[in-house]
Amino acid sequence: MPLWFARGLRRGVVTTRYPAQRDPSAADLPTPPAFCAEKLTREVADQLCQACPCGALSRAGDALTFDAGACTACGRCAQAVPGAVTRSGEFELAATRREHLIKQIPLVGESER
Amino acid sequence: MTAAGFSPQAGEESAEELAAAQLRRQVARQFGRSLHIRTLDTGSCAACEQEIRLLAAPHYDLHRLGLFFTPAPRHADMLLVTGPMIRAFDVAVRKTYEAMPGPKLVVATGACALGGVYQPDAFTHGGAGEMLPVDVWIPGCPPSPLALLQGLLVAVGRLAEKSRTMTFVQNGNPR
Repeated sequence: MPLWFARGLRRGVVTTRYPAQRDPSAADLPTPPAFCAEKLTREVADQLCQACPCGALSRAGDALTFDAGACTACGRCAQAVPGAVTRSGEFELAATRREHLIKQIPLVGESER
Repeated sequence: MTAAGFSPQAGEESAEELAAAQLRRQVARQFGRSLHIRTLDTGSCAACEQEIRLLAAPHYDLHRLGLFFTPAPRHADMLLVTGPMIRAFDVAVRKTYEAMPGPKLVVATGACALGGVYQPDAFTHGGAGEMLPVDVWIPGCPPSPLALLQGLLVAVGRLAEKSRTMTFVQNGNPR
């Protein structure tokens, strides 16, 4: 009798855990952007909003609103302003509430003046 | 400062919300051992379906986790919705949801179903949340099988949600 079968009977665990180990292919997945906080001025934020094709980015006053749920990880924001945007590397993004995916990112410059 | 704006205050949860949370945990415990999934394509480009299909492949093997696909909504515990919810599907979506026995879960999959790609107009509702009570949202265009697996396990309470604490801000060494 295989060991895992005996173990399952003893512990009552009928399914396995996820993930057993980190999947190496996860490193190549397209992921939403991460923004460099110190480079985000109003001008940069407006450039980013303009580059976004799916309305994931918008600016209201001194905050950039990033909707990770609307983001398609196309990378156009990173192309528009290469220094300010990097890969976040986050792909396990499931949320139990839609609001959890909408992030407010404070801009620099304006509040310091 | 960013996360605090959206998190419900700990002391302010009403009795109904606490009861709902307890019920949700009970349902999740039941579904955590065996869950049957019905997929519903509401006008997606089929990229999401491609990734969902890969879940059954040996590399991801969702059956080891007690998750199964079923062709009939009457046998399903979870509705996995893709696409921007086009209006031509209104009747089909309602019938599918009503045919499922309760308790049931709804998972919105992909940027379209989360309202990212299409705005509401004459042809689409612009997201699954407009028509169905969504329990878990899985972003991505399309979400990879790994992201889908994590989303499904979040839905049945076997993994904790990660996205709530993500900031998408990187401080220091800009490349």
